[in-house]
Amino acid sequence: MKFYISKEWCLTAAELEAGANTLGAGILAMNPGPGEMASAPSSEGDEARIAFGQFVTLARRQRRLAIEALAKAADLDIGELLAIEQHDPHFAPEPRTVYQLANFFGVSRARLMELAGLTRPKNTAFVEQAIKFAARSASVAELNKEEQAVLEGLIKVLSEQDSR
Amino acid sequence: MTVTISPVVLRKVATNEAIDAELRDAIEQQQLFDWVLHWQPALYERLKALAAARVSPDNWPQSAHWNWVAKLNEIKDLLAHQTLCVVCEGMTQGLMRVDTVGKRCRLDSQKGLNLVYIDYLEVAPWNWDGPYFDPPRYRGIGTILLRAAIEIRLAEGFKGRIGLHSLPQSTTFYERCGLANRGPDAAYQSRLPYFEMTPEQVQAFLNRGSGK
Repeated sequence: MKFYISKEWCLTAAELEAGANTLGAGILAMNPGPGEMASAPSSEGDEARIAFGQFVTLARRQRRLAIEALAKAADLDIGELLAIEQHDPHFAPEPRTVYQLANFFGVSRARLMELAGLTRPKNTAFVEQAIKFAARSASVAELNKEEQAVLEGLIKVLSEQDSR
Repeated sequence: MTVTISPVVLRKVATNEAIDAELRDAIEQQQLFDWVLHWQPALYERLKALAAARVSPDNWPQSAHWNWVAKLNEIKDLLAHQTLCVVCEGMTQGLMRVDTVGKRCRLDSQKGLNLVYIDYLEVAPWNWDGPYFDPPRYRGIGTILLRAAIEIRLAEGFKGRIGLHSLPQSTTFYERCGLANRGPDAAYQSRLPYFEMTPEQVQAFLNRGSGK
C-alpha cells in the first residue's frame, strides 16, 4: 500500500529516537533470539547463583548477623550483599566479594566462585548438589533444625577442597 | 510481487541533513542480504562494546553463544508475512513484521478490539543510539515503521490501534511515542513489557509535526 507521510512529520517524529537505544520490538528482535543459547548454560547458572545467595543468607543467619553487620565484618558493600541474598540470578557479584565471603564463612574460594557463576564449574555435580540443598530451605526468621541441616550440607559441599 | 514504495525522510545525524528514503511494503531478498552481510557484523561489534562495558546482563547475556543460523531461519520467515522496511542510500535501515489478524487489544478501555500487532521491529545496529555506541547514522526509521503499522489499520477503517512487546532497553522509545506500558508480560517467556496504543494516543502521535 502507498503511505503518505510528510517530511515535517518524519523529521519531528525522528527526534523521539534521540538516545533511545535499539528501538527493538518483538521476541525476534532479541539478541540472541529465543533458543539461540547453545547448550543453554544460563538456567543452570541461574540456579547455581540462587544457591549461592541461599548459602550466604543461611550462613549469615547461623551467625546471627544482620546484613549490615556481615557487610562490616567481611568488609563488603551492603548493596551487593542485598542483591546476592535477594537471589537475583542476573546479578554478577564482584570476584572480591565472593573471596571475602568464602574467607569469612570458611569455605573453598574456588567452589564459591563457581557457585556464584564467576568461574565455570569443573565438576558440575557439586553445583547440582548445592542447588538441591539450597532448594530445601524456606525463608523463616530463625534457623530451624532442618535449615541447620541444609546449611551444614551446603558447608560440607563447599568445603570439599579442590586441588589447589 | 510488486512492491509499493512510499517516499519518507530520515535525519542524517552526522550532518543534520534531511535525507530521502523509501518505505517499502515488503521485505525482499535484498533485505536479507543486507541483514546478513551488513547488520550482523555491525551488531557483533556493538555487542562486544556492550560486553566490554559490562552493560546490563539482563539484556545482553554475556555467556551466550550466538547462533546466527537459527536467527537467520526466523528472519527468512519474514518473506511469508506482511512486512515493511525502510531503505536509505542503498541500504536496509529498518525491518518490521506485523500481524493484522491474530491479536486483540488488552487495555481495559479497548479490550478485545482489533489491532495491528508488531511482532518484529528492528533498526540496523549503526542506527542505535545509546551511551556505548557511536552516534547513529539515521534517525526516524523506528517512528516511520510505527506510523506505517498505524496507517495499515487506519486504511482498513479501524482506529489505528497497535500493540507490541518492547525489548527491555527500548521501552523509553515506545513510551515517548505515547504507547501505554502494561509492564512485563508474564505470558511471555522473556517477560518483555507489553505496549498498546489507544485511538487518542494514535491521534497525538500522528499530529506530531503538524503544529497541532
